[in-house]
Amino acid sequence: MIIDVHGHWGPWFFHTDVADAAVNLRVMDECGIDVQLVSAVEAVVYDPLTGNPALLPVLEAQPRLRGLLVVDPRDLDLAASQLSSLLPTGLFVGAKIHTHYAGSPGGSAAMADALTLLASYDLPVLVHTWGEEIVDLADVVARVDGARVVAAHLGGPSWPLAPEAARRSDRIWFEPCWSTPAPGRIRWVLDRIGPERLMFGSDATLIHPAVTLGAIRAAELSPVEEELVMWRNAAELFGLGDAQTLRQPGIQTPSSTV
Amino acid sequence: MILDCDLLVGRDIVTGTRLSGVELAGALPELGIGGGLVTSLRSLLFDAPSGNDEARAAVAAEHGWQAVAGVDLRDPLTALAEVSRAASLGVRAVRLAPERQQVPATAPGLRAVARSAAEAGLVLLVEGDVRVVGPALAGLGASAVFVDAHFYHLGDFVLLARDEPGFHASTRLLGDIDGWELLAEAAGVERLVFGARPGWFEAAAVVDRLAGSGLSAAERSLVTGGNLNRLLGVTA
Repeated sequence: MIIDVHGHWGPWFFHTDVADAAVNLRVMDECGIDVQLVSAVEAVVYDPLTGNPALLPVLEAQPRLRGLLVVDPRDLDLAASQLSSLLPTGLFVGAKIHTHYAGSPGGSAAMADALTLLASYDLPVLVHTWGEEIVDLADVVARVDGARVVAAHLGGPSWPLAPEAARRSDRIWFEPCWSTPAPGRIRWVLDRIGPERLMFGSDATLIHPAVTLGAIRAAELSPVEEELVMWRNAAELFGLGDAQTLRQPGIQTPSSTV
Repeated sequence: MILDCDLLVGRDIVTGTRLSGVELAGALPELGIGGGLVTSLRSLLFDAPSGNDEARAAVAAEHGWQAVAGVDLRDPLTALAEVSRAASLGVRAVRLAPERQQVPATAPGLRAVARSAAEAGLVLLVEGDVRVVGPALAGLGASAVFVDAHFYHLGDFVLLARDEPGFHASTRLLGDIDGWELLAEAAGVERLVFGARPGWFEAAAVVDRLAGSGLSAAERSLVTGGNLNRLLGVTA
């Protein structure tokens, strides 16, 4: 069983042909990924106003894709409106905040306000982290009651700061995808934060999942670590149910076919 | 077994990491990498002649490795001499690392050294942003592998490749969904050369990307060795 907590749907501005959700599904099958949490690229890099609702028909058609509603901390009125209108569909299981595109660093007041809003909906959020902001973000999480955050990318090149971030709050988890992964990074982090705090994410369809799966393979996870990192932590945090639920009839997944 | 164009030994001053030839050799089998082109970081960061001697010593100890001559563009005159020495020693490739050495792509030395290497028939391994360093090496008739080509810049690499039949991209940072396949379609699979920089990069990520690629067996054979051997003039 593999749950990918960091996916995207829609076209990218790079030279890549991945706009169709069929690409998500094809690559998931090839990589053994059962469920992928996706945010709309349009909502991340351009406008949540149009990007978040554009994801709805995709989620309706593809039960193996679960939605992450993109929140721009600079526009929380829109976020509140979309949370009210889109969460009742049951198609979104969390939120996504991109600190760079949304101009809202991990330690900013805007981030704190956004996490406060999301905590009021008891909604976990995947937050892009790059550099030292991973620690700043952890401090904000510690201050916002009920906030539950997955720090995407382990802070990128600042991944050695992940253990410090983990110490600042027990409501921050970590996700390791990176297009330029340093050797030995995942094992180093895992040994310091524990397997309960790490969960698999790929950044597909920007990055091929094989990149992070290969990095995880190099970390030589124990069976216990593998279960936690590859799906159980994500299932619990995002309320996705247990393995049996995730393999419910009608959802043909790699795990249910092998 | 895979040939990797991007093997490095020595010490990286930025990270403080050190990797000997013996350690690198020990890490390759489980990755399915049988050898490739090895460059000494000493040659890129401190002293090219002694660093290149170090690389050749590592090569002598390991089957399937070929030495690359590193040059230091901060001293382009010595770099030119090192290119000549490398060619006389039978070395088949030169590594250029302008970003690592904080030398701008506009520096006269970069183009002069690249021209000298190209005229000597040596393959260039080129570090840095392909959008920046690629144009600086255009028009020389050079055979080059851009070892830091990132999928973010794939479109620009394809444009460069249209005008430069000798330009190739390493696989290391082409880790998106379809970068390998799009490059093969747009420029030919002959332009893709396996590089994973084991020990310095999570090479298993590149190996797994290879496993997940949509390339045919014949195409994979080119990427994982055939293309590099062609560039080096090695016949099977």
